[in-house]
Amino acid sequence: MTQTTSEPAAVPRAADDDAAISVRGLQVRYGDFDAVRGIDLDVRRGEIFALLGTNGAGKTTTLEVLEGFGSRVGGTVSVLGIDPARDRAALRPRMGVQLQEGGFVDELTVQETLQLWQRLVERPDRPERLLERFELTGRRDVAVTRLSGGEKRRLDLAMAVWGSPELVILDEPTTGLDPESRRRTWDAIQELQEAGRTVVLTTHYLEEAEALADRVAIMHEGRIAVSGTLAAIVAAQPAGFSATVSDGAGALPAVSGAVEREGDHVRVRTEDLQGDLTAFLGWAADRGVRLSDLRAAPASLADIYHGVRTGSEQS
Amino acid sequence: MTTATASPASRVLALGAAEVRLLLRNRTAAISSLFLPIAFGGFFAFTFNQGAVGGPGIWATIAALQLVLTFTMGVYITITQTVVARRQTRVLKRMRTSSLSDAGVLVATTGPAVAIAVVHLALYAVINSLLGAPFPVDVVPLALAVVGGLAVCVTAGFVTTIVTPSPERAQITTLPLFFVMFAAAFVVPVVAVDSWWQALVLVPGAPIGLLTQLAFTGGTWAPGLLGLPAALPGVLSLVVWTAVFTLLAQRRFRWDPRH
Repeated sequence: MTQTTSEPAAVPRAADDDAAISVRGLQVRYGDFDAVRGIDLDVRRGEIFALLGTNGAGKTTTLEVLEGFGSRVGGTVSVLGIDPARDRAALRPRMGVQLQEGGFVDELTVQETLQLWQRLVERPDRPERLLERFELTGRRDVAVTRLSGGEKRRLDLAMAVWGSPELVILDEPTTGLDPESRRRTWDAIQELQEAGRTVVLTTHYLEEAEALADRVAIMHEGRIAVSGTLAAIVAAQPAGFSATVSDGAGALPAVSGAVEREGDHVRVRTEDLQGDLTAFLGWAADRGVRLSDLRAAPASLADIYHGVRTGSEQS
Repeated sequence: MTTATASPASRVLALGAAEVRLLLRNRTAAISSLFLPIAFGGFFAFTFNQGAVGGPGIWATIAALQLVLTFTMGVYITITQTVVARRQTRVLKRMRTSSLSDAGVLVATTGPAVAIAVVHLALYAVINSLLGAPFPVDVVPLALAVVGGLAVCVTAGFVTTIVTPSPERAQITTLPLFFVMFAAAFVVPVVAVDSWWQALVLVPGAPIGLLTQLAFTGGTWAPGLLGLPAALPGVLSLVVWTAVFTLLAQRRFRWDPRH
């Protein structure tokens, strides 16, 4: 797990061959508002990297810089070895982008949209393949304006993966989708990875990051609060156990973790799950205290996400 | 997979052709941008030519009005509306994720308006000839009026998008420059060549009128304001306004409605 600061790194680390994206000390400002406050980011080739965060956390702004659309006031950015602000033309043929919303000419049909895209994108591909892959064949002659939200997202994804680019950037690819459509979108994203492509996506959905991402970063208020592999992030966080104790239990045992008690419900967050749980069970056995709803679990991404948000609110 | 890859120019043409197809599909937009200017231009030619004053002078006024009408309505306002609409729906942003260059996206988005304007000019030439208009005595100032007028109106269109948050608002934000250009182009040709009122030629769009007048009446390089060749202030005005609008557009143009 890495904790970043608002200060940009003094000496940018050279991008190695394994890095699809390397960002050091990125800062973006809109007028007086600091949208991104000095973040570091590394995405390896062939991995799926998820950028999590609430609305306004700076995710889309960060993506726009990677895509070469946003301008930065500080930091260095390397995408496939190219600075997108300096040479977007070299990056364009190697990168596919899904916008967060819109971007369609509403009057065009699905088929016309893909046919136009075929003429506009250097990477070769066929509209029929994408129509079939994203289950839009039956809607090919329908104007984009008449598509459902889910169908539009699928068409959007089809355009992003057109010609199977080296790097695919997806901005909230499943927002507004029903569970089945979301599952199918996940399959398509995983197919990209199996084909050796690198995928960077933003999402509000923790389960999406858990299902897809090799590594994640959680952004909050323009900074990266936590980043790394899911396993490493979770392992570095305190695990917890909880139980409802029977009446008259009296004082709880001394444990190394943090204890929260609301009425008869007890919750302990600890870095020594085994030791504290043993002490707790021993205490209950000695006193004849009945424990109902006893549960023990490692920290979840939801706990960490919640912790990032509440930690910031309290500071 | 297909193997053919298009050239940059064919990509621009593909998007431009899509824009034209969309225009033709929308009956209201097609009528207002294709036929209204022709109707107005024909109306000018018919009515102004019926007056007591005839000859090259009146045809200079008619041609100037036709030019400025097409450039302001067909090019300036259309470009502002089109670019703002495409920005609002994030089509501009989407197109930037294709293999088109930024310049290619803008040329393809605005090219059809310019092409339609050129077709209008050709139709005006036919209408005017049929109604007895003389051939211009000097085509150079007329060519300068066309090229310079287009340059000013295209760049002005991009600048106006900076202060236009939505396509609907374009109907308001384009009005000041529309009236200024239209009125100036109309007034300057009727002011004496050596009058100080000729300073109005510095107003954007005014040289369209002046240069068209010189094309029909001659005296392009005769002494005018401050003893300068008559066409020179107009040409300078077109060049300077195009440069100013280009600079403003380069600095402040927005591709995305968010920021």
